[in-house]
Amino acid sequence: MSKQINVALIGNPNTGKTSVFNALTGLNQKVGNYPGITVEKKEGICKLPRGVKAHIIDLPGTYSLNASSLDENVVIELLLNKNDKDFPDIAVVVSDVENLKRNLLLFTQIKDLEIPTVLVINMADRMNYKGISLDIPYLEKHLETKIALVSTRKNQGVDHLKDLIANYKELSVNPCIDASEIDAEYFDNLKKAFPNQLLYKLWLVITQDVNFGKTDRKEIDAIAGFKTKSESELKRLQQRETIKRYQFINNVLKKGQTIDASQAKDLRAKLDRVLTHKVWGYVIFFIILLTIFQAIYDWSSVPMDFIDSVFASLSEWTNDKLPSGAFTNLLADGIIPGLGGIVIFIPQIAFLFLFIAVLEESGYMSRVVFLMDRVMRRFGLSGKSVVPLISGTACAIPAIMATRNIESWKERLITILVTPFTTCSARLPVYLIIIALVIPDGRFLGLSFQALTLMLLYLIGFGTAVVSAYILNKILKIKSKSFFVVEMPNYKLPLIKNVALTVVEKTKAFVFGAGKIILAISIVLWFLASYGPGEDFNNAENIVKAEYASQNLSEDELHQHIASYKLEHSFIGITGRAIEPAIRPLGYDWKIGIAIVSSFAAREVFVGTLATIYSVGSDEEETIKNRMAGEVNPILGGPLFNFASGISLLLFYAFAMQCMSTLAIVKKETNSWKWPMWQLTIMSAFAYIVALIAFQVLK
Amino acid sequence: MNTIIQNILAFTVLAFAIRFLVLKFVWKPKKKTAKACGGTDGCGCH
Repeated sequence: MSKQINVALIGNPNTGKTSVFNALTGLNQKVGNYPGITVEKKEGICKLPRGVKAHIIDLPGTYSLNASSLDENVVIELLLNKNDKDFPDIAVVVSDVENLKRNLLLFTQIKDLEIPTVLVINMADRMNYKGISLDIPYLEKHLETKIALVSTRKNQGVDHLKDLIANYKELSVNPCIDASEIDAEYFDNLKKAFPNQLLYKLWLVITQDVNFGKTDRKEIDAIAGFKTKSESELKRLQQRETIKRYQFINNVLKKGQTIDASQAKDLRAKLDRVLTHKVWGYVIFFIILLTIFQAIYDWSSVPMDFIDSVFASLSEWTNDKLPSGAFTNLLADGIIPGLGGIVIFIPQIAFLFLFIAVLEESGYMSRVVFLMDRVMRRFGLSGKSVVPLISGTACAIPAIMATRNIESWKERLITILVTPFTTCSARLPVYLIIIALVIPDGRFLGLSFQALTLMLLYLIGFGTAVVSAYILNKILKIKSKSFFVVEMPNYKLPLIKNVALTVVEKTKAFVFGAGKIILAISIVLWFLASYGPGEDFNNAENIVKAEYASQNLSEDELHQHIASYKLEHSFIGITGRAIEPAIRPLGYDWKIGIAIVSSFAAREVFVGTLATIYSVGSDEEETIKNRMAGEVNPILGGPLFNFASGISLLLFYAFAMQCMSTLAIVKKETNSWKWPMWQLTIMSAFAYIVALIAFQVLK
Repeated sequence: MNTIIQNILAFTVLAFAIRFLVLKFVWKPKKKTAKACGGTDGCGCH
């Protein structure tokens, strides 16, 4: 068996650790040009020269080993615990060539833990552009390490890095600085109390609440003859340590790094002045949003219509060509329409992810976070809550996990509770189909009403999240606010490869993740819609024929009435009619009621459910849109999906907590069922009330 | 004969669908190790 070594990838946020991880392992973990993408460690395997295998662990970004949030704790707890199975044989500290000074603070701390350490200077392709030159041999000598100059964008330096990792035993483990110099007497006492422990490790344990192995802060306090210092004294010592480290770093960089500002071609400052301007910043962001939603509609209508008609033809073909029977009906009326209900949205979902990926890759997303921080502060939250809220546009689950970098528990809790209001991609299919049915074609200043409605729904989602945060802030009385420092990454031309990977992976996750649930639910729904109890269902044909005997109906019309009668008396019809009184005031019929109940598993299921129910209840193979447009309100008459019921449904889905996976992740992150249950109750009740008011006012 | 085969196929598919939904939402078997999360894997995000 070949030898396997543990390699920890560590570095400041947004230095490209995950890009280095992907380059080493050949994996495609998500990367982005804004901080806070990685909140948990990720693992992969890299084959090194001489048959050595490396177990690469990509850790969340941290500015130093002085942890203040959960994601930073992940790094420190691993580095302090030699008994951890992932304890690194070698640490690879990833730094960004433009922020070397700040990045080296973490490097020196890790070196002082006497772990073999390699320094990766990433984004080396920007050195010329920024007028930076480095004396690598000098830096290697004075930092007592080996340096790999890497550009993951241009795939340069990765092989050299692999060689350095393979030869990790040759690396020096000498510390960069002697931390005990900050208070010699104190460190002497510490050494006497724990003669076998590494001093710097003890110092880290004393200065923060992290656990490692069997040694923790309380144990150190309890040792007889050793008195630790007060919090404020420890803080002062920490500051002294930081100053000492920067003195060391400055001395090294004075000769090891040259920056010729005259060669730097820097548009960044100029762009930032406009893009983060207190007026123009918001105007530009608003215009970008409008462009995105308009493009989503304009570009995807043709492929969507094509997919819709393909699925309708496929259903028809299945019915015509396969022998008649239950399985054929299940395929034609259950599985194919159900799947069509998700596949139809691939173009729009892909375009949405394309735009998000471009914004992230270009570095603009960090500017949006900065802009939003100004808004959030007025509502009592810091900008740290903005990252989860913005990532919530893709999916609430990773967004809720991203709250781990919020230090204040109450602030984190509020962010977790309000994030599901952000419009996630699962809402998109519901929005798109309802908007297409109830919002008229037409344009205002060149923008279609439909695109404007979609954008409005996104803004309503974000606005509700912010207002809810404000209310929760008052109720929960946040005293401790976490500070917010956002790193403004450089503007970059998005790499086509990264953008394409993000779009493909996210669309795949959307289609296959939701697709499996929709497929399973479609199958169950087909059975419930195709079978029923009692005489009404079993003798449907005779009952309908007798009922319409006096009318001269064509064969097709009679079949249509029979299918409709059977559906109403099927298991699903009976269930649907039982819940109908509760949803009728909102303008919905029992079929929509069933779709709402089944979409509690995942919002996207809504369209697939309706497609299956309508398919069973009809003899004609039509597109989903046409089936929905043709539905008649059984009580009020006229189209079921009209402006009033459509708006009511849109608002219901904007506010309701229709996602079991989100509830599960909230339970995991808050370690209690209390919060997800509150979230479910309040969001559902609010959604019901708003949808009710909307329908009653607009009908 | 055809009807019987069609019914067997349909109900087998139903059994698989119910099993999948139960495992997904009602009873989740414990995973041995937590691997990468937060990126493209979706972490349980459908």
